[in-house]
Amino acid sequence: MDQTHASSPLAGAVHDLATEVVLALRSGDHLATVCGAAGIDEENRTGIAAARVIGADLLLPSVLYGRHPHPGDVAVLDRAVREFPPKPDAPAATAWSHWHMISTLQRIAPPPPGAAAPAVYAEPDAAWLEGAPWQAFTHQLSVLAPLAVPAAPSAVRRAATNRAVDLSRGFVRAVRRRDWLQAAGAGRWLAAIGGEPATLGLERGLDFVELMGGHDPRVTLHVRAARLMAEARAR
Amino acid sequence: MTTTATEGPSQDGPAGSRGRPGPGRGGPRPGASPGTPPGAALAVLPGVLRSALAWTDAHRADFTLPDDVLEPHTQVNATLKPLGELAQLGSTIRRTTDPGAPEHELAGDLVAYAWEQVAGGELLLELLRGEPFAAYPYEIYAAFAGYGLRHEGFEALARPLTATRAWAHTEQHANRQLGLVNSERRVGAVTHTDAGAVLSRTWLGGLSEPWMFEGPSGYALTHTVFHLTDWGRMPDRVPERIDGYLRTWLPAWADGCLESGQWDLTGELLAVAASLPGPAPAALLDAVWPVLADVQHPTGCVPETGMPVEDPAPDPYPFIDCYHSTLVTAFAAALSLRSLRSPGQTDGSAPGRERRTA
Repeated sequence: MDQTHASSPLAGAVHDLATEVVLALRSGDHLATVCGAAGIDEENRTGIAAARVIGADLLLPSVLYGRHPHPGDVAVLDRAVREFPPKPDAPAATAWSHWHMISTLQRIAPPPPGAAAPAVYAEPDAAWLEGAPWQAFTHQLSVLAPLAVPAAPSAVRRAATNRAVDLSRGFVRAVRRRDWLQAAGAGRWLAAIGGEPATLGLERGLDFVELMGGHDPRVTLHVRAARLMAEARAR
Repeated sequence: MTTTATEGPSQDGPAGSRGRPGPGRGGPRPGASPGTPPGAALAVLPGVLRSALAWTDAHRADFTLPDDVLEPHTQVNATLKPLGELAQLGSTIRRTTDPGAPEHELAGDLVAYAWEQVAGGELLLELLRGEPFAAYPYEIYAAFAGYGLRHEGFEALARPLTATRAWAHTEQHANRQLGLVNSERRVGAVTHTDAGAVLSRTWLGGLSEPWMFEGPSGYALTHTVFHLTDWGRMPDRVPERIDGYLRTWLPAWADGCLESGQWDLTGELLAVAASLPGPAPAALLDAVWPVLADVQHPTGCVPETGMPVEDPAPDPYPFIDCYHSTLVTAFAAALSLRSLRSPGQTDGSAPGRERRTA
């Protein structure tokens, strides 16, 4: 585990997982295993917690390249879903990311017939997003950036689609604040949904964000995801 | 991502969309920020304007030119520049407010005071004789000339100078060159170049990536709009693509200026917002004005930057650190009041609605 930049074992594991997702996105190798490469399996408590932090992005290479996920990655994500269910009073973003992990598993790695599926989890509410000022809206959307993937409808995605200009303003604000992770998350949403004002210059903006903030692999992960989605949209 | 190259005039609309919603664009406003009640700007603006002008009036003496104003050692930035700004912004406030309103009268008094300080233009002629090839005496004179205060001798000397090739090729930033064009318009001279071509060379005219906005580009942008619109008097001179660009990005920039305590630039951005053609960007004005009103000292002055002083005692800031931001606040407040109240824009067609985003 590379903890050179990490402040804790968990942060180190998150860093490693994000790095492996980025490598898998870069290579497009369908045999790539994110968790295996990061030295994380189902029995690794810290690794499972890190998988909860990365969320459904653990399977992002499979989602974006349309390939079957590695069984080891599915097992770790499944374990994270079961081990870290949101508490009843959890923030809405936590509930949303939990919901998205489950729906991603169901979509791209449905359990074999007879196997136990994760408990049903109702789609959380997103009305609070509609009413949020654009600054808070962008911040929350950025936290929920793993939901910004193709063919994954949700109330969050609909809110993002309805407020693409606000998200674009939030991207500008985040870059100006040198909040690279938020900027990358907002940029990823814009790449997923489109509709940003042409003058935003999102492509060059994402290059800038990656070059300035790419020491954090989570930033690179979002930027890479954005590029892959933008390329797919352009095709 | 986006399709810049294929965008028509709707460069600032959502990528891929065509056609700009016309005036009175209404409908749902998903791009607006919930959170600030409508009318928040109008609730504070009259007080902000009155108070900023009262501070300016009470500090006339600080705008007074020293006896050695024409001597080489005198700092122009502490003497003629503040006075020229008093004339420029005062005359705009005068034109923007209703005759008979106390602010209208006071703004007129302040311009008259500034004209007195330059001895009815005589001092500006002396300045021009001292530096005949410099642009700034002409720019200061134009602030008065645009208001109808003119000096024959000044114009007689300026006329041949401004008709030279050298004048037409003065080397300066594009936004300042637009300022010179505006000065020429105010004086009534033939403009030395095409304003549209100069505009396209500015940071704003290039529709620069909004995430690259910072202090210097911010001031370049605000002055581009001031010169283009003759300090907010002619909103219709703002081309459609720039109007859309500004409506889209001003909220993000103003938010950053508030966060970093750049009150002077905040005021200038508000003046820009209130100089746009069509409906006032009410959501933006409602979000920002209450914050700037809180920063304003009880005596009416507004600091240029930084944490506002809590002390209610008079003169919490040195004159040089607050006069400009205070004048800009008054100027922006007068323009914002006009923009929000302007008849014809409140005909039920949802003033202040920003462009639809879907």
